[in-house]
Amino acid sequence: MVKIFLVSDNQNIIERYSRICEQNSFNVGFSSDMAIIEEMIGAENFDLIIVDNGIKTLAPKNLITKIKSVSENTVIILLANNGEIDKSILKSTSAIITEDFDDNLISAAFNINLRMKNALTKLSDTNKDLADSLYRLNALYSTSSQFAGTLDKQKLIEFMIEGLDKSLSFALTCTLSFCTENEPVLILNSLYEISEELLDAIKLRTVLNYKSLFENSKNIPYTIDEKTLKVKKFVKYPANRFNFTLFQFDNMFSPIALGENFYGCIEIFKESHFSPEDAKCFQTIAQQVSLPLKSATLYQEIIETNKKLEKLEKLKSEFISIVSHELRTPLTSIKNSIDIILSGRCGQNSTSAEKFLSMAKQNVTRLSGIINDLLDISKIEAGKMDFHFNPVNIHSVIDYVKNALSGLAKEKSIEILTAGTKNLPEIMADAQRLEQVLTNLLSNAIKFTPEGRKITIRSELKNAADIIYNPCFSEVMAKLKGDYIVVSVEDEGIGIAEAGLLHVFDKFAQIENSLSRKVGGSGLGLPIAKQLLEAHNGAIWCESEIDKGSKFHFALPVEMSAVKGEAVSIS
Amino acid sequence: MKKILIVDDEQDIVESLKFVLETSGYNCYTAFNGEDGLKLAKELLPDLIILDVMMPKINGYKISRLLKYDNKYKNIPILMITARSQEEDKLIGEETGADEYITKPFDLDEVLKLVEKYLNNENDGNSN
Repeated sequence: MVKIFLVSDNQNIIERYSRICEQNSFNVGFSSDMAIIEEMIGAENFDLIIVDNGIKTLAPKNLITKIKSVSENTVIILLANNGEIDKSILKSTSAIITEDFDDNLISAAFNINLRMKNALTKLSDTNKDLADSLYRLNALYSTSSQFAGTLDKQKLIEFMIEGLDKSLSFALTCTLSFCTENEPVLILNSLYEISEELLDAIKLRTVLNYKSLFENSKNIPYTIDEKTLKVKKFVKYPANRFNFTLFQFDNMFSPIALGENFYGCIEIFKESHFSPEDAKCFQTIAQQVSLPLKSATLYQEIIETNKKLEKLEKLKSEFISIVSHELRTPLTSIKNSIDIILSGRCGQNSTSAEKFLSMAKQNVTRLSGIINDLLDISKIEAGKMDFHFNPVNIHSVIDYVKNALSGLAKEKSIEILTAGTKNLPEIMADAQRLEQVLTNLLSNAIKFTPEGRKITIRSELKNAADIIYNPCFSEVMAKLKGDYIVVSVEDEGIGIAEAGLLHVFDKFAQIENSLSRKVGGSGLGLPIAKQLLEAHNGAIWCESEIDKGSKFHFALPVEMSAVKGEAVSIS
Repeated sequence: MKKILIVDDEQDIVESLKFVLETSGYNCYTAFNGEDGLKLAKELLPDLIILDVMMPKINGYKISRLLKYDNKYKNIPILMITARSQEEDKLIGEETGADEYITKPFDLDEVLKLVEKYLNNENDGNSN
């Protein structure tokens, strides 16, 4: 009901306005005593206050100032009969009614002003709501930017609580966190100090809340007990103390989870009521923190895996080092003993003794080759292999390797031929490494070629576009651009099935091949060759036909700029 | 008779080197750790030293450095035996002053050739 207050000492006016109010069903009160009026406006919220300008018992100007100071939005209507009107009063009044107004006009003036007041009140309420929403949005925005900026789970939980404080100004939050420490922890953020009894009640409540989340599920992520639950307490104003029980607070509760990943749950308490907007805001923040928590968990897993890998890598290096040193030393003693006996320094050996000693010697050589290969591959993989690039004549590399292996070829009556372009240009390369590559290819060819056949070493100048290769090497070969010296080792051996072509450059590929196991080798020669050539910006590939033979090719860039003219390490 | 000092903690290797070198007419002395090796080298003033890298107490590189920076011993040729292990790789960045490196497993005949090369050169130097 509309409430109107009339300030007048004129009985006629009081009667007339009382009647008009009655007609309009307005509730009306009146007085001319300043003390009573002050009390009334302090206690009641009047829609309209009518002030008689002709009042004798008080100064209208003072009264109006008083009313405005109590409630700025109160609508004041001035009754201007005879007598002067103070100009400052006019500023604070919404309407002026003069003597010549009839009753209808007065009613109309009341109603118009009441409507205006209602509209104003609505507008101001809406404005307040808008300001609230804006503030909350700001808090949400800054919280979500904070979430995006860290992968530290502890910080994420802190940011969540901070964001809730900013947007909802809670009295107490209880966050049960499973993700920040090794054990579940209850984080309490409170305005005031919490008594022991209250703390016990909170713990019990949190555990019950948590259990209720998994009521219908058999798998509870963690088992917790209110007696052993670890608590971390943060009190904003420790000088004060909460004297309430939890039932005197309004509360909201939410799990912090994303899909099957459960990170904890949070309950928030406030002395006044939470609005539906508060609830939305709370849910949003509790949900928003789950995603970065998941990222942080994954990130942590990656870091831990990396650490494990680093440890494994170190173990591998140590292992290789032990293999290298601890195997070489006894091997040296074996080799020396065999050499001494074979040299005849201990007397004449029988033919069969010599045969078996030679067999032992050959296998010692083979074993030391395997150790060298293992050491090489581990050095290359660790990026510790040093290369010394100098101008190299490929023909001298070929001649050197051909001579070095001529004895081995002779044993099997294999003829090694050279073919291709003469006087190829010099290239920037590490001659020793190229010799290692070619030695490997040629000794393989000798190994896999039956007695009495031929092996050809061909060297040519080719443009990358003119090189023909099996499509399985297209990934490697597509990288080649410009002119290359291509060296090929062509044998008439047992050949390789097409399916196995690409895998011959894989580590330990030989071990899977029973045929080559018979021939021996570490299975590392070709992968080492591949890595050495890649360090030269070159490539290695092959073609083969079962029982007809294999052709292994490698390409080295002619362009000097392709490799720097200094020692470099590859990684 | 030329004096050769062999220093290696592997007795078997010392034994085989000693056997081959003695049958080839050299007088061999042996030590099984770095400390003894360094002491013997200074006492004996051998004509050549065969030195293993990885040894307890004082490693071969250190012995080589100590001798090569001393005017009294710097002309003694040093043949270094290496297993190419990673511990050795870490040490190799430093100057060692060794004259030759022999990688395990080595060929006794090649060691013999190297010994002859250094000891004959020295003879030439003396006679000139």
